[in-house]
Amino acid sequence: MIDYLLSYHSVLDHILIYALLASSQAIVLRAGTFSIGTVAYAAVGAYTTAILTTKYSWNPMLAIFAGAVLAGITSGVMAFPLGRLRGIFQAVATLALVQVVVTIAINWDGVTNGALGINGIPKAVSTGWLIACVGIVILMVRQLGRYRLGRAMDVIREDETLAVSLGISVAYHQRLAMIMSGLLAGLAGGLHACVSYAVTPEEFGFHMLVQVLAMAVLGGTLSAWGPLVGATVLVVLPEAFRVFAEYRNVVQGAWLIVIMIYLPRGIADTISTWRHDRRVERANSRATSPDPKLSRSST
Amino acid sequence: MLIQQLVNGIVVGSTYAIFALGFTLIFGINKVLNMAFGSIFMCSAFAGLYVVRSLGYPFWLSLIVGMAAGGVLSVILDRAAFAPLRKRGAPDFAYVLTSIGASMILLSLAQKLSKTENLRFPFGTFPEVAFELGGVSIQLLQLLIVGVGVLMLLVLMYALFWSSLGRRIRSVAFSADTSQLLGINAELVNLQVFFLAGALVGLAGVLIGAAFNSVYFLMGEPFMMRAFAVIILGGLGSIPGALLGGLAIGIVQSLSYAYISSAAADAIVFAILFLVILVRPTGMFGLESAVVRVQRR
Repeated sequence: MIDYLLSYHSVLDHILIYALLASSQAIVLRAGTFSIGTVAYAAVGAYTTAILTTKYSWNPMLAIFAGAVLAGITSGVMAFPLGRLRGIFQAVATLALVQVVVTIAINWDGVTNGALGINGIPKAVSTGWLIACVGIVILMVRQLGRYRLGRAMDVIREDETLAVSLGISVAYHQRLAMIMSGLLAGLAGGLHACVSYAVTPEEFGFHMLVQVLAMAVLGGTLSAWGPLVGATVLVVLPEAFRVFAEYRNVVQGAWLIVIMIYLPRGIADTISTWRHDRRVERANSRATSPDPKLSRSST
Repeated sequence: MLIQQLVNGIVVGSTYAIFALGFTLIFGINKVLNMAFGSIFMCSAFAGLYVVRSLGYPFWLSLIVGMAAGGVLSVILDRAAFAPLRKRGAPDFAYVLTSIGASMILLSLAQKLSKTENLRFPFGTFPEVAFELGGVSIQLLQLLIVGVGVLMLLVLMYALFWSSLGRRIRSVAFSADTSQLLGINAELVNLQVFFLAGALVGLAGVLIGAAFNSVYFLMGEPFMMRAFAVIILGGLGSIPGALLGGLAIGIVQSLSYAYISSAAADAIVFAILFLVILVRPTGMFGLESAVVRVQRR
């Protein structure tokens, strides 16, 4: 069993890193913004880590930390102009940001080593570390929903006007969500650099953006488990359907359409809403079991 | 040299503009960010190429076939990926994701069918005639592209602002529900808009395939990113904005291509897109009413 798992540990690493990226995406979607810059911040984190470890031989842990902080600062700076835009325009602006970052990475030869990317990054991160990181992030997102911050974000997403009338500052909370998203993406990028020994600019392009977005939405953006579920499904599914390997993108594209139409809230959110509904139902029937007719009027 | 580059820029810009006209039509009317247009563009180019290469039809017919292919694909896309979402009142980003899904399907099928090859129009498809004018050379095909660009602008303006179809389209754009009450079949109007937009994008596909004499399954993506820049610069849903934005982006690109480097050309285009959307998100010709949709106050 252990051998079997170990033989798949690169797949596991892949799932865990994408789970981090997807939670970075999910957190901004949760706060009602449609920034899709996660990939750009991941590139910032990955390149910072790569450059600091290879050129300046920093301790990898410190370098990953620095990458995450720099990515967080980048997204914090971006959050100010982005906060002024609405929905789809945030998406277009961040799409442009991703293109700008990739173009810089390809052309700034002196620092990023151009299209070749940076090789020979020390492999300092084991699967255990990744599991720990994902676990901590899941716990944090879970806790977020119990405090003012997470609930304010939920209100903003559901109804901005209501949020304003309740005295919640939309801009402040969305900026905070973007900074958290940047930190998470930078962390994921740095870990990715240390797991795969190398970073190249093409990795952080449109393909990754689509993957991350699909994972976040498929898993569900509200529950803490969502991104992990989404990442697992979208990484394992193509592995399981090797027969369709040639038509992998066709299958994945069709999946994306079907899921958005029939399961728009994602797997984890749908399950948790369902469980919540059942719990409420059971509590109701227990509270008023002697007379079912009365229970209806009392609820 | 400078004038030659300007001319090249105008030609390239016209192709962007034709593409962007279709894009801005959907963006302005359905408020949908259709990420599958790049793939429809590419598929239409393949359709046009197929007609010329395998069936030996003349070039003008391949333009029409490209338009028809683009229109039909766009309508199918609307039925399969957008209409169910409209029915359910899904959030904006659902449209982005389903159109990305559709785009992945088209891309991968095109890759299979073309065997990842870079295909060309056969020699002599289009008469190679060049005009010299004061040291500046212009090819007939280039003139055709600019002409088609202007023509499409006029046709679209006529269709939108002087015809009864246009009145219906604009009323659906304003409010689909109210239009339904007034007896307009909003779904039918949607189909017409998608066909029109797809046909424009398809036309751009065949023209660009012929102009660069290369049809490749990945050709759509860079054009779509530039079309973003064009419609944002020109202003959301603005039709003259699409043409002027296209020309501006085309000129900027060919000038920076000639005087700086090819890599810089892309970087500059995306930087423009990025800056415009942050500083003036409604673009050059954005209407006052668009501001509400674009910005928070």
